[in-house]
Amino acid sequence: MRDGPVGELQWLSATEAAQAIADKELSPVELMKALLERIAKLDPRLNAFITLDAEAAMAAAKAAESEAVAGRLRGPLHGVPVGIKDIINVAGLPTTCHSKILEGNVAKADAVCVQKLRGAGAIVMGKLSTHEFAIGGPSFDLPWPPARNPWNTDHHPGGSSSGSGSGVAAGLFPMALGTDTGGSVRNPASCCGIVGLKPTYGLVSRRGVYPLSFTLDHIGPMTRIVADNALMLQAIGGHDALDPGSAASVNGHYAANLDRGVRDLRIGFVRHFHEIDTPAEAEVTAALNHAARALQMEGAEVRDIRLPSLTEFGAVNRVILQSEAWAIHGPWLRERPGDYGQLSRRRLMAGAFMSAGDYVQAQRRRLEMIAEVEAAFRQVDVLLCASSMDPPCRIDRPADIDRTYPRQARTPFNVTGHPALAMLAGLSVDGLPLSLQFVGRYFEESTLFQVARAWEHAAGTDKKHPPIV
Amino acid sequence: MDKVTMELLARRAGLAKALAEFPDDVAAAAKQAADVMSRIKQPTDPAAEPWPPMKAGRGL
Repeated sequence: MRDGPVGELQWLSATEAAQAIADKELSPVELMKALLERIAKLDPRLNAFITLDAEAAMAAAKAAESEAVAGRLRGPLHGVPVGIKDIINVAGLPTTCHSKILEGNVAKADAVCVQKLRGAGAIVMGKLSTHEFAIGGPSFDLPWPPARNPWNTDHHPGGSSSGSGSGVAAGLFPMALGTDTGGSVRNPASCCGIVGLKPTYGLVSRRGVYPLSFTLDHIGPMTRIVADNALMLQAIGGHDALDPGSAASVNGHYAANLDRGVRDLRIGFVRHFHEIDTPAEAEVTAALNHAARALQMEGAEVRDIRLPSLTEFGAVNRVILQSEAWAIHGPWLRERPGDYGQLSRRRLMAGAFMSAGDYVQAQRRRLEMIAEVEAAFRQVDVLLCASSMDPPCRIDRPADIDRTYPRQARTPFNVTGHPALAMLAGLSVDGLPLSLQFVGRYFEESTLFQVARAWEHAAGTDKKHPPIV
Repeated sequence: MDKVTMELLARRAGLAKALAEFPDDVAAAAKQAADVMSRIKQPTDPAAEPWPPMKAGRGL
């Protein structure tokens, strides 16, 4: 097997790595070694990991190498390293949820999504930083420090899947799992300039993942390129009879349309999100307009589309999320309030002040909003809209975090359950990622990947890496 | 929400300990909750159902 120089291996995509391993041109051991060396060098500045399981990862890489040499491949991700957000169970490792509350909580079994990744041949490297219980962060009053942005370590990497975004962007691993209840896959993808997908609600099993909000929680892939995202979704998607929220019939060949281009596709541009509801920074608006024009040049029909306001989507999301999260965290908040960080404590206790009537009204309005978005999808195939309204702010300025955190257009699609993918739209004058979002019809992730791939190809987003060394 | 109502609701929810140790956090949580409902349009159709719709099936 060929031993690649470290400088090349860190930016290998999952697709390239899997192909090279299958072709016996790349050793999984050399790949793992290169990434572990990079983690040793960079993670003290990035804090992407809570638990690095280097020994087990190297043992799995050796096993993968033996199997590859013998021509026995476990699946399409054979020998490819992956990082797992630390609210997702990995057998034998602690699931801390980045919280003192769950320190030492060792998982007995893999979550279904982790089982499926292992079944496809992926190798788990360890558990990744998150906002506490996927809601409270970035926080400096927790047992572990918050992850940082590899484009500039003074800046926020987004959350709550912070370590997943930071580590993928920095070349610590080519792919990671995140979770998304109000945008927590797509926010770090936006801040770190990678590809993050919140699949259709129910497409990926939630079993073995610590819940935040039962009717809003999604598990999604985070990668540097669109093709890897489709590959990872192919591995983790599918019906799970033991997850009550699992979609009954799930099928799809997610990479089927990757290189078809966007000719004849109808794209609805949701301008009012970033022009009226929550006016975006000028650089973000310019990047979105540029993307719309570029897709038009590629042959898509782009037209304006109107949805309910971001303010209302945000309010519906918060009432549902905080009511359901209170049902989960109430007992600990009553007995151990001091064991939460301040941000989580404030956000999770809000549910105690919401009534049953508030929750039901929010769920009733949710169904009406779903109908309004479904009506839009009768006119267009895919939506284009903002993800974050600002470039990532400094991590050490709470006022900037408070100001920018709600300035986003991600929560609408947790409310409706439509698949939504965030990715790089360009770089700010300060060299920080700007983002955009594509949204698809239920279970039409393949069309979403088709449009995202066309944008990636037109803009060269897959060639842009943070300058961290 | 006034302070008396907030404290009453917090105690009813079992948050006496939090109220004693972190009164500012309890007040901040109450304020968040009070602000958010005013931003949601109330459905005008009395027959508007919540999501997900109740459906009889194998599990019922």
